[in-house]
Amino acid sequence: MAGSVLQTANRGLWRSVWDRFRVPAWVSYVLLAAAVGVNASLQPYFFTLYNIQSNLNTFVPLVAAAVGQTLIILGGGIDLSLGAIITLVDVVVVTLMEGSIERVPLALAAGLLVGGLCGLANGVLAAYVRLQPIVATFATSFIWSGLALWIMPRPGGSVPRAFYRGYRDVFLGIPVAAWIILGIIVLWLILKRHRVTRYILAVGGDERAAYATGVPVAKAKVASYVLGGLFAALAGIGIVANTASGDPYVGGPITLTSITAVVIGGTRLSGGAGGAGGSIAGAMILSLVGNIVFFANVGSYYQELINGAIVVAALALAGIPSLRRRSL
Amino acid sequence: MGRPLNPVLIAFAIAVLLFVVGELVSPGFAAYSQIINVLRVSSFLGIIAAGQTLVILSGGEGVDLSVGAIVTFGAIVASRVIDGQDAMVLWGLAQALAAGLALGAVNGILIAYLKVPPLIMTLGMASVVKGLSLVYTKGQPSGRAAPIMVRLVSQETVFGIPGILWIWLALMVALTFILRQTTFGRSLYAIGANRQAAYLSGVPVKRMVVAVYSLSGLLSALGGFFFLGYTQSVFLNLGDRYVLPSVAAVVVGGTSLAGGAGGYVGTVVGSIVLTVLQSVLVTLRMEEAGRQIVYGIVLLALLAAYGRQYRLRQ
Amino acid sequence: MPYLTMSGVRKRFGGVVALDGASFAAERGEVHALLGANGSGKSTLSKVLTGVVAPDEGRIEIDGQEVRIRGPQDTRKYRIAAVYQELSLIPQLTGMENILLAYEPANSLGFIDRKGLERAVLEVAARFEQALGRRIDLHRPVETLSPGDQQLIEAYKALARQPEILILDEATASLRQAEVEALFQVVRELRDKGALIIFISHRFQEVFALCDRATVLRNGQTVGTVDLAGVTEKDLVDMMVGRGAVSEVREAPTPPRDDVVLRVRGLCGPRLQGVSFELRAGEVLGLGGLQGQGQSELLRVLFGAEQASAGEIEVAGRRVVFRHPRDAVRHGLALVPGNRAREGLMLGRPILENLTIASMHRRRRGPGFLSARREKEAADGAVRSLGIKIGHLSGPASTLSGGNQQKIVVGKWLLNKPRIILMDDPTKGVDVGAKAELYRFIRELTQEGVSVILNSSENMELLGLSHRVLVMYEGAIADVLEGDDLNENRLVAAAMRVGRPA
Repeated sequence: MAGSVLQTANRGLWRSVWDRFRVPAWVSYVLLAAAVGVNASLQPYFFTLYNIQSNLNTFVPLVAAAVGQTLIILGGGIDLSLGAIITLVDVVVVTLMEGSIERVPLALAAGLLVGGLCGLANGVLAAYVRLQPIVATFATSFIWSGLALWIMPRPGGSVPRAFYRGYRDVFLGIPVAAWIILGIIVLWLILKRHRVTRYILAVGGDERAAYATGVPVAKAKVASYVLGGLFAALAGIGIVANTASGDPYVGGPITLTSITAVVIGGTRLSGGAGGAGGSIAGAMILSLVGNIVFFANVGSYYQELINGAIVVAALALAGIPSLRRRSL
Repeated sequence: MGRPLNPVLIAFAIAVLLFVVGELVSPGFAAYSQIINVLRVSSFLGIIAAGQTLVILSGGEGVDLSVGAIVTFGAIVASRVIDGQDAMVLWGLAQALAAGLALGAVNGILIAYLKVPPLIMTLGMASVVKGLSLVYTKGQPSGRAAPIMVRLVSQETVFGIPGILWIWLALMVALTFILRQTTFGRSLYAIGANRQAAYLSGVPVKRMVVAVYSLSGLLSALGGFFFLGYTQSVFLNLGDRYVLPSVAAVVVGGTSLAGGAGGYVGTVVGSIVLTVLQSVLVTLRMEEAGRQIVYGIVLLALLAAYGRQYRLRQ
Repeated sequence: MPYLTMSGVRKRFGGVVALDGASFAAERGEVHALLGANGSGKSTLSKVLTGVVAPDEGRIEIDGQEVRIRGPQDTRKYRIAAVYQELSLIPQLTGMENILLAYEPANSLGFIDRKGLERAVLEVAARFEQALGRRIDLHRPVETLSPGDQQLIEAYKALARQPEILILDEATASLRQAEVEALFQVVRELRDKGALIIFISHRFQEVFALCDRATVLRNGQTVGTVDLAGVTEKDLVDMMVGRGAVSEVREAPTPPRDDVVLRVRGLCGPRLQGVSFELRAGEVLGLGGLQGQGQSELLRVLFGAEQASAGEIEVAGRRVVFRHPRDAVRHGLALVPGNRAREGLMLGRPILENLTIASMHRRRRGPGFLSARREKEAADGAVRSLGIKIGHLSGPASTLSGGNQQKIVVGKWLLNKPRIILMDDPTKGVDVGAKAELYRFIRELTQEGVSVILNSSENMELLGLSHRVLVMYEGAIADVLEGDDLNENRLVAAAMRVGRPA
């Protein structure tokens, strides 16, 4: 029938061949444990408070970004502009702070607003204008980073001391950064109980079935991008706190790392299955792998190579079960 | 949902329009020599995007984000082997191409057989290749282009056209022929349009996928080799600037990201559009910030014009 | 005044007219069958009602009021729910999450009331469980459930929406007898409470068991509505197919030759349990039985598209192992797959490429060069010999009607001069004219000594074309019909395992 012809032939660019590709959950957690173990054996002071703290400080942005990317990918999309949103938030927050502690709330609110609006724009383009998310967000990434450059042409700005000191502080014996990561986890757990997350999962799982069931497909998609933008804003704020300055190029590399973290964390790249818990583990794995390579004394030239090789090896490992299934 | 206008024609019209705008803003922009110069700069993107075109045509969410790193690696290998000697050019080229082919093949094998999603696979490969470049050069790329390579890119031949443009033209003719008039080309479109149907028609889908990513690696290295003739010496992020524009050039040229529809002529025009656009924005003395914003908006407009997906409701 | 009235409904998909002014009317408190051959438009009509398909024209009235259904989200307002043939479940979500999807009880902030959700779901499930006598695990992702259980979850889902109008579109396809009974019991209860149930099914037995009245569609138009108490199956068939179409099939086939071209022994694999048979030159071997008993899988294994776990295949007396369809193609096999759009055609590519893809290696020169002229000649030849109606060879395959699309799939193999053609329900969604032509064509091929293995969901087609019919049941050959046994009674009895322990 012609109806089903259209239906099947266009059943989503994003869920055809690699439909089943998913890293098993245990792989992520084993990898995380291994990464912590190796780290600890290489770094004599790994478990000291100072070290954990400085590690966590650098983890926060990627963790937040990975959670944001997770929500978008779960909904069947992808955001290649996430890093640019982080950059834009970073420069907006720094610029508005003007080094004064009184302006911090305003700056943070503005940062979140900017992240949400960027996400909204991406979501509208993907859901209502119906552009392919991978190219649409690629295009908007230029707009966001252009805006960032326009606001702050070169790195600088000043961040109030109390703000970044607070970020590096310890509260109730636990580093503030750890509290933030914990907060992000709690945020995810709350979101999981909300209707919107279920709709996002449904849309990512099978868009047509979700539509036929009466799920507001377009709205759910937009929501996934807006939430993604908000988490990107958190990541941007984390970077401000960690670096204590603004930088119009800072977010770039995070886009791709966030996607890798999501995949390593067991979320299906075509959407519908997975969750932020794995992505947080994935983000930490990636950060720790960087650490390991750094501390393993392999010579700085080998760091990037080993880093990349480990990621590729993990991906290949996840794909080995598909060798047994003889399919396309 | 038919396509009302041929995307290649739209892209071509935009390129012409951009030249006209440039000429209005800054007389002399569309002078013959200037046009040739813009085309020359486009050729590097065009050659690199050739592999990207094949990958995207092959469908299955195909995309190659490792092109930039392979461009750099190809240039690094060529530059070290050649080190300014004309006699070593072919040997250097051969080594660069072999490296590109091998790296691309790894992409293809993991994508086809281990089912790693192309986006992630080629992303990972990009960082591996960057790492390789670092290890290979110890952070200090050495050598330089041979004079003959520099002449190829800059010296005018017939009609004031530099050799690189003739090579690009030859590549365009060859690729278009391959896509249209060979079993390889037909199989490529077939796997892009419908993998399952192609498989059940006897097309060796996995081998095609490996071949396509291998070719993409090869063409990236080739692009790196030619770009070396332009820059004359190597730096470690030489190819980075080409990653996303190579995808954009393919899309602007009307090749569907879903695979199975489009061609290399479109990519050639797409590369020119992106390069002229950059050039117009520079001429307008727009700062980097403004250039990026305009670039993004133009891309979005083009996508909205012919890259839209289907409605859910039938 | 009927509770639901649809009138003058029209819908085109590209070049194909799915609904051509169809009408439909039904009352509360009845189970109303919607019947028609494949492609008659019954699914499309039901999807207009659920908002999935936007009609080009047409008027819908519910309870005397004209309504506009702009999308599935509107069905909530009119209390319409459907159990679809292609399930509308989200594979990764659990039964619990699927059943009230988009209807979750939630607080004003949108947080799901999980207790309330569970209560509501269990209440619906309880109604089935009583009739069913067992319980389905609602906390597992539905993709891990059996097809039958998924179908039941789909039914729970529709029921949980407390519909006034419930559409069952081939909802019993993968259910066992006891499960069908359970579903019917729940449906009858719903009817007795005053709901309208629209029942779409190919199984007459079920239609007569459950329904009060029936409306018949043919080629997108409404033929009429009848009271089921006053008609026989034959009357309905006559309404569905019009007269004459069936007799077209019945014609004595040329007897096959003696040489065995394909021998299969003890074939096991995905859903196959020890299949053995022989195929002779010029023979049409039918595969019958209920759908989904391993017929498609058998064809795919024979073609190398799936791997056998045990067993032997011999082609022309030589043992073969096909690891890729290409190997099968080399040995003279061809497959006309069951799902044209998904497996048979590159819809966006030109007709010419669709026709030549499987045989271009025969015409290549050197490393793989193709001559535009020779490719076109080949394609033209196929178009002529199959009588395919096309605009231009360079037009995309998506512009053709179902029948002509199917001829393209057949045509691409003819260019390869196959010895054995495997056909998986080749006339599904094909109009009557194109069907007759495909039948004629199959006969011509067999006269030339080509063998055909034909899986078909249409009994008349199987009986009219085949020399022998293998009746499959749960992946094995349950019966072989030939000679005088080739009649519908025997076929249906064998398929349903009548007189045997099920």
